[in-house]
Amino acid sequence: MCTGRVDPTMIAEAFINDADGVMVVGCHFGDCHYITGNVQGQIKVGLAERVLTYVGLSPKRVSFDQCSSAEGERFVKLVTDFNQGVRELGPLGNGDGLPAPELKEKLSIAKTILAKEKLRWVVGKFTVFVTEGNKYGEVFTDHEMWRTLDTIVMDEVATHQIMRELGQEAVAVKDLAARLKLPAPDVLRYVLALQRRELVDLDGVEGNSPRYKAVGPTAQVA
Amino acid sequence: MKRRSPRLRIAASPCHSFKWGMKLAKDIRIGVFVCDCGSNIAGYLDCPSIAEYAETLPNVVFVKENLYTCSEAGINEIKDAIKDENLNRVVVASCSPRTHEPLFRESCAEAGLNPYLFEMVNIRDQCSWVHMQEREEGNEKAKDLIRMGVAKATLLQPQEPIQSEMDPKSLVIGGGISGMTSALALANRGYQVYLIEKTKDLGGLLRNLSKLAPSNIDAKELIAKQVEAVKNHKNIQLFTSSTIKEIQGYIGHYDVTVSTNGTEEKFGVGVIIIATGARVFKPEGFFNYDGKRVITQFELEALFKSKKFKSKNVVMIQCVGARDEERKYCSRICCLTAIKNGIAIKEQNPEAKVHILYRDIQAYGTENEALYQRSKQLGVRYIKYDQEKPPEVLDNTVKVYHHLLGRELELEQDLVVLSTPLIAGEDNEELSKLLRVTLDENKFFLESHVKLKPLDFATDGVYLCGNAHYPATIREAISQALGAASRASIPLAKGTMTVEPIVSVLADEEACRGCGLCVALCPYGALEIAQTEKGRKVRVIPVACKGCGICAATCYVHALSINSYTDQQVEEQIRAFLSG
Ligand SMILES: Cc1cc2nc3c(=O)[nH]c(=O)nc-3n(C[C@H](O)[C@H](O)[C@H](O)COP(=O)(O)OP(=O)(O)OC[C@H]3O[C@@H](n4cnc5c(N)ncnc54)[C@H](O)[C@@H]3O)c2cc1C
Ligand code: SF4
Repeated sequence: MCTGRVDPTMIAEAFINDADGVMVVGCHFGDCHYITGNVQGQIKVGLAERVLTYVGLSPKRVSFDQCSSAEGERFVKLVTDFNQGVRELGPLGNGDGLPAPELKEKLSIAKTILAKEKLRWVVGKFTVFVTEGNKYGEVFTDHEMWRTLDTIVMDEVATHQIMRELGQEAVAVKDLAARLKLPAPDVLRYVLALQRRELVDLDGVEGNSPRYKAVGPTAQVA
Repeated sequence: MKRRSPRLRIAASPCHSFKWGMKLAKDIRIGVFVCDCGSNIAGYLDCPSIAEYAETLPNVVFVKENLYTCSEAGINEIKDAIKDENLNRVVVASCSPRTHEPLFRESCAEAGLNPYLFEMVNIRDQCSWVHMQEREEGNEKAKDLIRMGVAKATLLQPQEPIQSEMDPKSLVIGGGISGMTSALALANRGYQVYLIEKTKDLGGLLRNLSKLAPSNIDAKELIAKQVEAVKNHKNIQLFTSSTIKEIQGYIGHYDVTVSTNGTEEKFGVGVIIIATGARVFKPEGFFNYDGKRVITQFELEALFKSKKFKSKNVVMIQCVGARDEERKYCSRICCLTAIKNGIAIKEQNPEAKVHILYRDIQAYGTENEALYQRSKQLGVRYIKYDQEKPPEVLDNTVKVYHHLLGRELELEQDLVVLSTPLIAGEDNEELSKLLRVTLDENKFFLESHVKLKPLDFATDGVYLCGNAHYPATIREAISQALGAASRASIPLAKGTMTVEPIVSVLADEEACRGCGLCVALCPYGALEIAQTEKGRKVRVIPVACKGCGICAATCYVHALSINSYTDQQVEEQIRAFLSG
């Protein structure tokens, strides 16, 4: 299977099922049996890594490496080193940003957003934007693309968490902010954006903080 | 048994929500065959224990250990079990699918089972061979791999091979010696050829050359014969002063638009050969190059041809604009050209002096080596220079540091000839995009594989030869041209193409929004956007698809999938691995 086939959701799925590390090894650039499969593989694994580490996974648990079939020793070294790094951390939830049960919950949010349109569209445009540019002919650097993706990851994770919380009960913005560990004005901005999309609605006011609840099925969040 | 202490699981590369194994699919009957491979596997792994383990896996109804699964006896055991046990999935745990998958698939088909309901697990290369020293771990890994294979087999769907008609016509782009040779080879086999040449004449670089090494024949004569044959061949339709405007399609079905002085013509072909050659690097700014007193080898050949050559003191400088920071490669033909032209000068006037200032001499092959020796016998002088201390061209002399003598020499000259490399054709980038084929770092066309497929592109149905690939001597260009024509004749002769159905499929047409994200990333041009009754939708061209899976991993609405590598199948394997 070409690394180009690796869907970022597959990597999330592995961690959800208790993998302690995921290593994707492809051919060297320019040497890919599928021409540019490894280039796309690296971008997709890169996205998965960013999303998963944003929600708390240690970056030492995901790696994209390259190795040719003639580099047996290099392969052994890559795997040994990666394995060593993961062993030092221990099972999932150790050395990560969160203990296992909370991390698991976040990982499932990560998988959901990796399956959603927004991130997939931008990551699908990655190569075109850094080579040919967008429809206005603006060419972006890798760095600019990753920065854009980082911002989307942040928005997507926050939006999904908010929908999850508000799907269960009505919560005041200040409490939401505490649960999400985000500044209250940022949370209010996300909530107002969701309100405009008619996904949440004002439920009342607690002290001086507005309280919101989800309307309609939470699964609708795009 | 101790395994993976402290409980750590590292998933290797190979995404719904039930844990694997909880689902005992109804009517799925899997047979697992564990191969000993003589002692290749059984010598290191405990095959009976592996077979016993396989029996415990969900949906597995039959397990058999074979001495050699690929032997007639082994194959018969698979066939009998399919019939006797009503198997509808087969898993063989043995060696590499590269060598044995076709055989096992065929055996399944012979027993009436769809060959794509077969899954292969490699416990030899990946277990017994690499873990000879860690047998227990190797054994456990074999069980993991079989568990994953069984998990995938459960979800496999039958597939049908894909067949497509072949347009028996061909297109050759470039009318140099390579293009003419390929066109004639195809035409002589009875195929209709369209030969496209950009300039008004056929012949390419050879039109401007004098004598050719190593055979010392006249370039004019060599091409005159070929041009004559091309022009008179009933199967060749020649377009001169023409360029490719557009190419669309895939192997067997290319739609080509050619523009001749603004007039367009369209036709269809099944295969394409790229023979667009290369250009001679013009050394502006190197060694006082002026095209008069300091000229290129290419210009020297023109002087020979027009019989205007009269110089008595010639200094040639090799690797001008080659093997440097900008162009790291060796152009290969310039040393031979310098040797050849040194001999020509000496033969015309033995009194004339010829100095060749070189970094390394590239004169490979017995004939070229013999020419090199002969030039020395005739008195051509070779002086090695150091890239760090390059020669200096003055008005009537050339200064060069002789690194053996350890001092600077000043050579008289009335002509300086610069050996410049062949550089990639100016249209390469445009053509590479039109045909979706790749270029190397120097913008020459890049073959599919240096050793295994030197004349093919990764894209099926497109082939390459001659200078378009890399600077070549005529002999090499002709061999490649004949080879490329042979490669191109294979699909032409078959008439229909049969390809593996492990390709991209639009699994969810409703979901597809025809955005084209996937079209832009497909390395093989195997996807296109088509207007359908349901609006803009992606269309997969199965014969062009190689099943890399980039599209499926990219599609933002999950509309595309890869047969036998669906998200569900791969995720199931991941879960199966982690449930062990
Ligand atoms: C100075 C010099 C001396 C040499 N001496 C020798 C020698 O003695 N012995 C030897 O073996 N080799 C020699 N060579 C090498 C020889 O020239 C090549 O081997 C030969 O030219 C290769 O032929 P080709 O058909 O691949 O490319 P080319 O000769 O470059 O022909 C390519 C053709 O394609 C056409 N073309 C380009 N782009 C397009 C397009 N987009 N559409 C349509 N047509 C296009 C070009 O107009 C040209 O006609 C010498 C080369 C040089 C520069
Ligand atoms: S063939 Fe000779 S002159 Fe040309 S680049 Fe190679 S070494 Fe230099």
